[in-house]
Amino acid sequence: MNILVVLAVAAVFALLRFRRANLLVWAGAWWVGLYVIFRFGFSAPIPSSVVSLYMGIVSIAILAYVSSSEERREEVSRPLVRFMTETRYAALLGATVVAIPALAAANVYVQMNVPLEPPLFPRTVHPASPTEITVHDKKIDLDAGENPYLELAISHPEEFRKHVENGRRVYYQNCVFCHGDNMTANGMFVHGLDPIPTNFADQGAISILRDTYLFWRISKGGPGLPEEAAPWDTAMPAWEKFLKEEEIWDAILFLYDFTGQKPRAKEEVHTQ
Amino acid sequence: MTVPHSVRIAALVLATTAFYGYVGQLVPQKEVQPPQETVLKADMTTADMVKIGGELMVGKGLCLTCHTIGKSGALRFPDLEGVAARATTRIPGLNEIEYFAKSLYEPDSFIVPGFNPGMPVINKPPIGLTDQEILCVIAFLQTLGGTPTVTLQTSHAYYKAPGATPAAPGGAPGNATPTNATPAKGPVTP
Amino acid sequence: MNRKLLFVLGPVTGLVMFGAVVLIATFLTNREYKEPYRAPAAIVDATPRAAGLTDEKAAADATNRAKPYVEVEYRAFPVVGSRVAIWAVAQLHLLFAAFVLAVPIFAVLIEAIGYKTGDRRYDRLAHEFTKLLSVSFSLTATFGAALTFMLIILYPKFTNYMMSVFSPTFLPYVGLFFAEAFFLYTYYYGWGKFHPLVHLFLGIGLNVVGTSIMLIANAWLTFMMSPNGISDGGALISTWDAIYNFTWMPINVHRFIANVAFGGSVAAAYAAFKFLHATTDEERAHYDWMGYIGNFVAIIAFLPLPFAGYWLAKEIYAYSQTLGLTMMGGAFSWLFIIQAVLIGNLFLGANYYLWLGMGRVEGARSVQRFIKYLLIAIAVCFMVWATPRSIIATVAEIRAMGGSSHPILGFLGVMSAKNTAVNILILTTFMSFLLYRRTGKTATVSWAKAGHAAQLLIFASAAIIVISLGIYGYFVEASVRIGLSVPQVSSVLFAMVAITTIDVFLFRRPRMTGDVRWGRMPAVSQYVLIFIAVTFTWLMGLMGYVRSGLRQHWHVYGVIRDTSPDAFTPTLGFATQVVSLTVLLFFVLIGFVFWLASLHDLPDYDPVHSPHSPLLAADGHKAERSS
Repeated sequence: MNILVVLAVAAVFALLRFRRANLLVWAGAWWVGLYVIFRFGFSAPIPSSVVSLYMGIVSIAILAYVSSSEERREEVSRPLVRFMTETRYAALLGATVVAIPALAAANVYVQMNVPLEPPLFPRTVHPASPTEITVHDKKIDLDAGENPYLELAISHPEEFRKHVENGRRVYYQNCVFCHGDNMTANGMFVHGLDPIPTNFADQGAISILRDTYLFWRISKGGPGLPEEAAPWDTAMPAWEKFLKEEEIWDAILFLYDFTGQKPRAKEEVHTQ
Repeated sequence: MTVPHSVRIAALVLATTAFYGYVGQLVPQKEVQPPQETVLKADMTTADMVKIGGELMVGKGLCLTCHTIGKSGALRFPDLEGVAARATTRIPGLNEIEYFAKSLYEPDSFIVPGFNPGMPVINKPPIGLTDQEILCVIAFLQTLGGTPTVTLQTSHAYYKAPGATPAAPGGAPGNATPTNATPAKGPVTP
Repeated sequence: MNRKLLFVLGPVTGLVMFGAVVLIATFLTNREYKEPYRAPAAIVDATPRAAGLTDEKAAADATNRAKPYVEVEYRAFPVVGSRVAIWAVAQLHLLFAAFVLAVPIFAVLIEAIGYKTGDRRYDRLAHEFTKLLSVSFSLTATFGAALTFMLIILYPKFTNYMMSVFSPTFLPYVGLFFAEAFFLYTYYYGWGKFHPLVHLFLGIGLNVVGTSIMLIANAWLTFMMSPNGISDGGALISTWDAIYNFTWMPINVHRFIANVAFGGSVAAAYAAFKFLHATTDEERAHYDWMGYIGNFVAIIAFLPLPFAGYWLAKEIYAYSQTLGLTMMGGAFSWLFIIQAVLIGNLFLGANYYLWLGMGRVEGARSVQRFIKYLLIAIAVCFMVWATPRSIIATVAEIRAMGGSSHPILGFLGVMSAKNTAVNILILTTFMSFLLYRRTGKTATVSWAKAGHAAQLLIFASAAIIVISLGIYGYFVEASVRIGLSVPQVSSVLFAMVAITTIDVFLFRRPRMTGDVRWGRMPAVSQYVLIFIAVTFTWLMGLMGYVRSGLRQHWHVYGVIRDTSPDAFTPTLGFATQVVSLTVLLFFVLIGFVFWLASLHDLPDYDPVHSPHSPLLAADGHKAERSS
């Protein structure tokens, strides 16, 4: 809730109460007040379709209330009748008569003037991966597996550097065009893409993913995405058709090495 | 000038029905076409079967009305992501093809722990997939965390392929299951 | 203008017109089509063309004679198509049937009350209700016959299948129809001619027969939705099992209650129609009272209707999970938002009528204070119920919400919230009624204070139970949550029964603080009654569509597939258009019924003394002119 808006509406109501306002004023105040609360009173804004639904109900309810007894009907119609019959309000009445169609026209103008928006396809950015995939006739266990060359970092640091360098080659031959020189997703093709490629430099990107998840995304690409991630919304190719398994693993090593991040650990680590 | 009451009543009736008709126009408009009859050719490859199985899951089979693929949280029906991997071990003695067949032909014979029974028998109306179509669905299910191996010549406990030839042609890679093993039990439907 | 000039102008105009006619006639004859020259027939016949034509004709005759008889599955209805035609006719048949079945139910009850209390007013009221029946009955029969013929013509294969399954039920149905006609006409024309008990017996007979007719027809249509008693191939195993299928009993109960509610509202609309056209205070008082009773019947029957609906939905789920999910989660889920708008309007309209009714009683102001709070409760419940589960929003709005479901509204879209809202709506309406009842009365019994306190306590605790169970529903899993609706409903029902019981004793011999002045109602209240009747009718049309459309591309679910061009499920927008048109047609026809019924009260045609034709007088013009 947006406390300030709610407080403001409450203050206006209190003022009306204090001034002993006419029922007609109250009816208008309730309508406007509730509209303001529905429209601006929530920190996560309510969509306009729901707001108009609610306001329809509010309108009917207010109409029902002001006409629900003889006194109330009397109290509401008295100022209205006076407004329409007494000569001193003639100018105001004329202005109202002009204002009503003008408001309708303005409303149409505003409605027509909204910028065009593409239709929305809800998309999951990181859908759950399968437990197992097949790349080049080899089954890769995505749950239990990990980068086979990662362990070299400790046991054979030289060998490991070789793999990282190979990964650098793979990256700059294939990935750089979209993911960019600094891995900040500003490659030269980016402007034609929607959604834009993943920014690896972002702390919340590859560090929250397992390296096997990256392997799945690289090898299967956009076509391999499950239904809810809307295949073909992303232009990522299925790299298994162009790269060897080792090259993909090496590129992954390079990604983490270049950005100074670490892949997310296996689930068991957390439960210990 | 007073408007006669009959005219007012007519106007009210007209306005009310028009209003409700208008409300009907405000909600999303969707026309649902009856499911297409897919033609199954006898010489389909496993890859073709996977494709058709996927279409059947969405369309005629209505599977995805209840099941999800890749969702977690409070679900009414089991999620199918990676189901092929789980299916191999779900019931001891049944490989994933037999398990899928069992859960499609006799859904109530085994309920995944934590869920309520509620799945219709798939080879009976109103869903009424044919035996061949069910093989396609099994092929698709195998891709969810596994490798599809079934062909139209595959037999299982509920279906005996005509002129059954041993195993999938060429032999499936990896953990190829003996797809044409003699039906473990249950009647052989013609 | 000058009179002489007119005399001159007359002949001149005549001449001009004559000339114009001659001109037009010449023009037209000149333009007339003339046969071009053709060679005499004898020459034409000499060509081989004639022989060729004869041969062709002979060949066509031969193929025609050899043509085998083929059973067709469908025939098309011109212009609108078979589906819309059968839809409209079935819906009209149902609406009139519902009215004809419902009116005798409360007419007999009112007559019995009149007999018991000896109050002639009740007898007159029951008679007045019955007056609407005879024309409606013939309209029902006409539409029923039209429906049958159209089924045979347009859907021969499907109709044939239904005949094969239900063959033993059709002749009893016809027999019952005869009995219905017998009871209905003797009940109506025999009014006041027999001993009251004999007459009451006729009325009860009418109800028994009418309800049996409905039970048989329900068996047919519920079989289409949840077939039973047949083999996998569709062959009949047991007719009784086919009749007693999953949804038969729930539909019977649901329809019985809904019919009473609908009949009450239409009868109230009739009273409103008469009230608006009334010329004397006496008439106004009578029709005000009649409208009140009709609306009372409608609302009392309407309160348990949502529960009957839940039972029906539960049985549909029990029969087929697929069918249930199509209804609540698939193509039809938005239909229930439209339904929420209708039901919200009904509750609001009914309460509003009761509040206006408080104005009949002198010194109602003390009670009218509470309207504010009742209205707030109703509006809030209405909003909760109408909140959709999946919200329509633009891209920018979804970004701003941070996802496709709203952090707060998301809670209102689910079952727990809606169940709670509907229970509170029912409680609030009951409260309105209770307040109306005690307007202008003060309890005189010694335990009055304790009684009021007890009523308030029961009401408050029912509300608290309903709301807290609703909130609790968010924290438990689905299977437990569904079960929670039972204690919610039963606490509401218990509260209603208990409070009414206390109320009856509390106001045994009340001190009257204000008189009830029947007829002292603003005209708007009568329009509200008509609005309620239209809304009820529309609601019936909509729910009839969902019950029937649920089968989607099946005639008989899972057995006979719909292969016609109309097998697809139309959009909700299209469906609501058809429903709207059907409802309009119904109101044109029921307006005719009302008019016929009011003819009865008019004096006979007298060429000497009556300057107005009876038609005009019935239309209320007389009233306007004399005033």
